[in-house]
Amino acid sequence: MSFTHRSIATVTFPYFPLNPPTPKTPNFTPLRSFNNNNNKTLISVNPKSSFRIRASAASDNSQPPWWANLLPAQALGSDKVLRLISGATASPIGQYVSEPVTFLHSLDPRVKLVWLLALVVLPARSHIILRFGLVVYLAILSIWVLPRHAWMDQLGRVSLISGLLFIMLGLGADGAPALVQLRTPPPAITGLSNLPASLAGYSYLIFKLGPIQFTRKGLSVASTAACLTFTVFQSASLCLTTTTPEELAFALRWFMLPLTNLGVPVAEVILTLMLSLRFISLVFDEVRNVALGIVSRRIDWQQLTMVETIDVFFAYFRRIFKNIFSHAEQISQAMIARGFRGDCNTHKMYLLSDPSIGIADVVSLLCLAGIIGAAVWSDFLI
Amino acid sequence: MWQLECHKMIYPSKLIHASKPFVPPVHSIPLTRTNVTEEISIEGCNLSFSVATKQGKTIPILKDCSLRIPSGQFWMLLGPNGCGKSTLLKILAGLLNPTNGTVYVKRPRSFVFQNPDHQVVMPTVEADVAFGLGKFNLTRDEVKSRVSKAANAVSMSKYLQRSVQTLSGGQKQRVAIAGALAEACKVLLLDELTTFLDESDQVGVIKAVRNSLDSSGEVTALWVTHRLEELEYADGAVYMENGRVVMHGDAASIMDFIKTRQSAYIKEINS
Repeated sequence: MSFTHRSIATVTFPYFPLNPPTPKTPNFTPLRSFNNNNNKTLISVNPKSSFRIRASAASDNSQPPWWANLLPAQALGSDKVLRLISGATASPIGQYVSEPVTFLHSLDPRVKLVWLLALVVLPARSHIILRFGLVVYLAILSIWVLPRHAWMDQLGRVSLISGLLFIMLGLGADGAPALVQLRTPPPAITGLSNLPASLAGYSYLIFKLGPIQFTRKGLSVASTAACLTFTVFQSASLCLTTTTPEELAFALRWFMLPLTNLGVPVAEVILTLMLSLRFISLVFDEVRNVALGIVSRRIDWQQLTMVETIDVFFAYFRRIFKNIFSHAEQISQAMIARGFRGDCNTHKMYLLSDPSIGIADVVSLLCLAGIIGAAVWSDFLI
Repeated sequence: MWQLECHKMIYPSKLIHASKPFVPPVHSIPLTRTNVTEEISIEGCNLSFSVATKQGKTIPILKDCSLRIPSGQFWMLLGPNGCGKSTLLKILAGLLNPTNGTVYVKRPRSFVFQNPDHQVVMPTVEADVAFGLGKFNLTRDEVKSRVSKAANAVSMSKYLQRSVQTLSGGQKQRVAIAGALAEACKVLLLDELTTFLDESDQVGVIKAVRNSLDSSGEVTALWVTHRLEELEYADGAVYMENGRVVMHGDAASIMDFIKTRQSAYIKEINS
């Protein structure tokens, strides 16, 4: 049998000491050295020489094999990742969209919070059909209410997460071999005849593909987790998109106010909520701006070794955290300058929104009651 | 010649003890729009400020600065980058303690930061303008009225429900100013508000401050800048260099002084 060795031109290694090649490493050939002066970056990187490795010197000069092209030119596609971040939309997740004004905008925020709570509980406690029904309902509502770019962004993200969860849990819930799990002794041991097959066509195993099996248990676990994830994220996004932070704070304070008698620091919770909603956008800005700063320096990623690329990313995250902490410090200074002295009870939070219960709210609550009723009875009816 | 007389018309209980004797600034120009008997809103005497490095060295930032600003006027604090303008303003706002010298600033006072993202602390315009009012015991209607008036003064009444994130730099800056105006403060300390703004926003913001001062009559503003063209909106100015107050007086005199310096510098380069 004869083998043909071909060159692979894409694998790079971190820096090795600049000693001349010893007889023990005859195949390592330094092809180029990294010039520090010509590669200035925003974040200081210590460029080092890199080596290109070849599998073996081939006698023929033919093209590399097809699979060599499949190897990633850069380990992380760093440039693409940073460009993606820097070019991301300026509107962060869950930002209030004031226009177009829909019926969801006019709903009382307290009603929206009740809906939110219901949508967190219902998927976990209802029949599978109702779970998927809620997902479809939320998706349709989002498409109907939100502008195209907003719902595409939201639904795409949430569907991806939920889909991944569904696949992983569906196939993984009963992934262990049946022999390990089986508690009933097999018929060969007991001497009894095997259990008869269900006359109604019931089968615990839904489908099996080699070692992968999708069972009813997997379906139940996966649908619960995926639907719950979808409803939690999407209902929260929908609520944040159609409710101003002030209205949300107002509703939360309205529900929490009785808890002040029990010593719950409601004022602190509300202030923290408002500050968090302000800070979300600042964090998104920082992540995008620092990425933009790196992209604008036109780093030649092809010249960097894996370690150097990781170094750039570490510096990127370090810079984000540094900037965020700096922002936090400046905002705390601004709060002091504006008269806040750390006591939420003496520094009042004026929430000027003045929502009131209207017909739309009553109809909405009736719909919610209907859905809760359906969830309760679904186990008996279906 | 108008002389600064420290400790005149100020309240001794509100002064920080001065360890150095008062030294008059290098130049002082007679004030045409004020007289000595006028009430003073901002006064700093022999202010020094220094920071210590990790190596234990002391770096002076402000050296013996003195200034005095009458009530109801719009003054500017000018000087090149790094001359100590913002530091002096932070000392006047009470955010920094001077190493030496005395400070008197009429209360209530408001400080507006250079970067509006550092000043605006709430997620919506309305909530942010109302934030500073939390320290007062006001009714809901009073708060609404103050917020509305302040937003009107800076032409932001249409944006009350808007998320701060969706505003431009100039609009955020106006929100920050509205927050200060809503508090009905006697003194506005404004730190390079136009740094991040384009020309139209720059003029819009400075006019908003000027208008609010003219309408109230008793509000005093000290505006830090290094843009000479903004001087035309000011009643008076203080010029700083290398941590020292080099000159103070009416806006026209300061403008002449700086222009003379500039032409002398250009001549020196060309010769």
